[in-house]
Amino acid sequence: MNLAATSFGIAMAAGALSIVAALTIPARARSALVGSGVAITGLAGVAAGAAAMTGQAFSLALTGVLPLSGVSFSLDALGGLFVAVTGGVAVATGIYGISYAREGSRSTQAALPVFVTAMLLVPVASTVGTFGLAWELMALASLLLVLTEHRHRPEVAGAGRWYAVLTHAGFITVLIGLLLLAGHATGDSFPELREAAGHLSPAVAGIVFVTTLAGFASKAGIVPLHAWLPRAHPEAPSHVSALMSAAMVNLGVYGIVRIGFDLLGGGPRWWWLLVLALGAVSAVYGILQAAMGTDLKRLLGYSTTENMGLVLIGVGAAGLFAASGDRGLAALALAAALLHVVGHATFKTLLFLAAGSVLHATGTRDLDALGGLRSPMPVTTAAFGWGALAASALPPGTAFVSEWLLLQALIHGLPASGVATAIAMPVAVAAVALTAGLAVATFVKAFGVGFLARPRSSAAGNAHESPATMLAGMAVAGAAAAVLAVAPSVVLPGVAAASNAALGAAGPAVTGVVTLRLAGIAGSLSPLMLTLALLAAVLATAGAVRLLSTRRARRAARLWDCGAGPLSARMEYTATSFAEPLQRVFDDVVQPETDVDVTHHRESDYLVAAVEYRRRVPDRIERRLYQPVLTALSAWGQAGRRLATGSVHRYLGYGFYAVCGVLLLVAVTR
Amino acid sequence: MPGDTGYVQALDLACGALLLTAVLIVWRRELAVLIRVFAVQGLAVAGLVAVLAAHERSAELAAVAVGLAVLRAGILPAVLRRALAKAGQARRETRPLVNVAASLLAVAVLTMLAYAVSQPLIALAPSAATQAVPVGMTVVLIGFFVLVTRRRALSQLVGFLLMDNGITAVGFLTTSGAGLAVELGVSLDVLLAVLVLQVLASRMWDTFGSADLDELRELRDS
Amino acid sequence: MSALGIVGGVVQPVVVVAVSPVLVGLMRQVRAKLEGRAGAGIGQPWRDLRKLVRKEPIAPRGTSEVFRFAPLVLVATTLVVAVVAPFATTDSAVPAGADLFAVVALLALGTVALALAGLDTGTAFGGMGASREMTIIALVEPTLLVAIFALSVRVGSTGLGAIVTSTLHDPARVISPVSLLAAVALVVVIVAETGRLPVDNPSTHLELTMVHEAMILEYAGPDLALVELASAMRLSVFLGLLANLFLPWGIATTAAPLAILVGLLAWVVKVALLGAVLAAGEVFLAKLRLFRVPELLAGSFLLALLAVAASFFLA
Repeated sequence: MNLAATSFGIAMAAGALSIVAALTIPARARSALVGSGVAITGLAGVAAGAAAMTGQAFSLALTGVLPLSGVSFSLDALGGLFVAVTGGVAVATGIYGISYAREGSRSTQAALPVFVTAMLLVPVASTVGTFGLAWELMALASLLLVLTEHRHRPEVAGAGRWYAVLTHAGFITVLIGLLLLAGHATGDSFPELREAAGHLSPAVAGIVFVTTLAGFASKAGIVPLHAWLPRAHPEAPSHVSALMSAAMVNLGVYGIVRIGFDLLGGGPRWWWLLVLALGAVSAVYGILQAAMGTDLKRLLGYSTTENMGLVLIGVGAAGLFAASGDRGLAALALAAALLHVVGHATFKTLLFLAAGSVLHATGTRDLDALGGLRSPMPVTTAAFGWGALAASALPPGTAFVSEWLLLQALIHGLPASGVATAIAMPVAVAAVALTAGLAVATFVKAFGVGFLARPRSSAAGNAHESPATMLAGMAVAGAAAAVLAVAPSVVLPGVAAASNAALGAAGPAVTGVVTLRLAGIAGSLSPLMLTLALLAAVLATAGAVRLLSTRRARRAARLWDCGAGPLSARMEYTATSFAEPLQRVFDDVVQPETDVDVTHHRESDYLVAAVEYRRRVPDRIERRLYQPVLTALSAWGQAGRRLATGSVHRYLGYGFYAVCGVLLLVAVTR
Repeated sequence: MPGDTGYVQALDLACGALLLTAVLIVWRRELAVLIRVFAVQGLAVAGLVAVLAAHERSAELAAVAVGLAVLRAGILPAVLRRALAKAGQARRETRPLVNVAASLLAVAVLTMLAYAVSQPLIALAPSAATQAVPVGMTVVLIGFFVLVTRRRALSQLVGFLLMDNGITAVGFLTTSGAGLAVELGVSLDVLLAVLVLQVLASRMWDTFGSADLDELRELRDS
Repeated sequence: MSALGIVGGVVQPVVVVAVSPVLVGLMRQVRAKLEGRAGAGIGQPWRDLRKLVRKEPIAPRGTSEVFRFAPLVLVATTLVVAVVAPFATTDSAVPAGADLFAVVALLALGTVALALAGLDTGTAFGGMGASREMTIIALVEPTLLVAIFALSVRVGSTGLGAIVTSTLHDPARVISPVSLLAAVALVVVIVAETGRLPVDNPSTHLELTMVHEAMILEYAGPDLALVELASAMRLSVFLGLLANLFLPWGIATTAAPLAILVGLLAWVVKVALLGAVLAAGEVFLAKLRLFRVPELLAGSFLLALLAVAASFFLA
């Protein structure tokens, strides 16, 4: 029994105990016990994942649990990465949930450890049956958690519906792909599938890849199957949103990497061009929607789509390079993508937990109504500020390192052969660049409008700091993001091991402790040195100013108001106005809807009493893609009503004809 | 082997009785006769299982055979008779949806279908028992047909029970015992279904004065 | 980290800090002469800075540490770029930071700090400046990164030292279509990033036309001195990068004192020339409407994309 196996066992035991605790303990101590249990599960998961990434693996097969096939688990470096990430996020959200989820009912509090445990089981599953079981458990538990607050708000039910339909549609497509593959193999365990994939015809392999890609891309929030993400994330409680955004969507990426690289053994170029294209479109569309948004959690949800798009750009590039034979560069691209997965988990958790703290204190998520939170909530403001910096790909930040790696991989990919690659790489670089710029704008808006200056509404004016466990949860996530920002070499060996496990390459793509050096390519970066240089420069400048300036004490002064009198909070820029120039530039893509409502005075139509301006940015892909499908389905449903005449005999007859028809078909085609 | 020939003959006898009773249920229209024929079929199924028990020398199967006899030849027909007593004058099936001649023709077609479908099953493990599987399949299809084409709730109930008899027969013929627990569970299910439907039929009779299902036309969504 | 790099890391920031206000003064003087005015003299920006540093520091009511620290962050990021970039020497004091992406991202960090300070004031002007500046940044980043892509492909690395050294060894590359297209794209980017005409007017006093000035409206005293110094330094850093990426001759490749002196002088001369040309061009330009700026930036993006296409099909 090695470290990986023991830790994983502890994680499962802690999860089971938390579930039992949630169902039996009385309300006063329940959330504390469940939260600590989830945190312990997470810690053990991190240990298991880290051990797996350093080379310790384990396998376990339990035949009695499920009829016919039993369940079997096998942890390798690739699965270990995702287990560790899920565990880390669980630690932060478990601690956070101790105060945040205090009023939950038994079932919702029990669903949290079920969700975490299921997410830990998915990367470990090594047969199709086990994978399906863990995936479905995860989907059901998360659905239950999304619907936690359905009594307080009517939109929660709609969000739950969308989430349920899309997640199950995704599951069905994944199952179709996997069963198609398993049908050509001798059994349904992953080693058997791997062996069968060698003999598959290209057409069948292509169908398997595309169907599983569709399902996993939907789970990862990739356009055009992302519609559940901006609905479910705002309505779910914040620690659940953090778990979904930072741990669950990664499992979509895990699925694509596992099936595409490991089980199917890489593939023709067009697979990876498709992945790259989907990633690029999602990244740009996601950040564009986030830049226009005014709902804080919806903005963060769209940012998840953007980051998963960037990850898929890396995965697609890795596949393209592997298909051209350049394994070293492919390992670099995949390592960049996986590092971005890890980094995104840290800063997205931090951002969602901070948003939850704001929601808890003010009761609103609307950026146009927030502001002035720096004095009443200093820790939350600092946390969100650090998360925003980490998310916006600026140094010193977590996303900066992974985007640097990604851009290095893309830039050095040009000499690789093929016109397709040659066109894809510049497009990918342009997409990454556009998202980087828009991400900076988005997070400046979110942080600056939401937290700085003066409160824009009374709800924000009455804010207060959150309880200590919520702050502790944010601190855990923030510390993890900071470590990744200045010392990414802590996780890089593990990430490289995972990438090599998937690709079958050897040798780490990125080495170095203080300075990251790329193997076989000229390029180096030292995030630590940059951060230290920046700090030194700040201190030097401050010292110089102190030396040179003669008067020290700062005098408080009035803000410039054009001499017209004191400024009111209504004169501040809101999130809508901040994003307005960008919205004008991208008007064709975004197509916002504006409403202007003018109320005149009773006496004369020339005198205006009030003007109300409302701007809504609908999700255009949803409108163009989903509306027609839903209308068609509704039309079919209406047409199908004619089959229901009310006669019991007719209904029975339908069944009889169907059975006879099937039997005839079976008899004839045998 | 002589023991074997005896076994095969007994098996064929039981299956023949099964098929014959099924055809009789399609042919006759008096409800009391239907119930009596159904009881005989119950005995035939029990007899089938007893033959298998004797061949396998299994006490468990013998116990199952006795249980089946009690249930399907005793309890269920009693319940059905009680429901019939409430029905009053209407002691015949009134104009089934498909007339008797066409029904018998349909039965012939269904028999051929059942034989065609069962061939792969027989090819899987040829033996005396599996050769009789098509009979069970036929009974299932006939039961479904009766369920669909009768107007009276009671006749439909008989059709449903016919299906169950057929499924039990096929189950025992192919696996020589689907497990005592499974059989118990299924029997309990069937008993409950019958009780519920009996209550339903009597309620319908009380409310509408007839148990003609064709009169019910409100079960739709508009 | 070689001796050459350390010398460069010490000498460059001093020269940049000293020379940048002079550069701004030079550009204003060129404009003045061309417009028929006497001008205030090259040393006026330094005189302004000295005056501002001696004034009383101010904290507007309702602002927080973001407002107070933004000028420090702005100057610090530009200082780090001045230390790291190859202006006088090809080697850098922090070789692991002399990456084109890192440098671009650091400069963007400075702008972000200022935008947050603008939002922190809570006035409509601060918000307006921040909003406009962020729009311009969002549209300039793609052009910048794609232009870097075009430059790095030939060299095989994004390290600034490597790019400069390879251009030194192969001077003919400068007149290739790739370099020319990338250079034009980068000129437009620099105009946008440093807030010069036609994107922004640095000497306007009408609040509604301001982009950069609106963000710093509330700054006074030493804070304003830092901000003005930082914007001057950014101008010289950007022009210096443009100069040395495309015209690196004169840069010091050995640690001999004469070579370093020549490198510094060559850099100062190149930056002064570029600044003068820029100022002269500004005389003939008017500021573009804010909503026409994206068209200009889109044009520069197209040029950068063409540079990339050329770098492959002509390689």
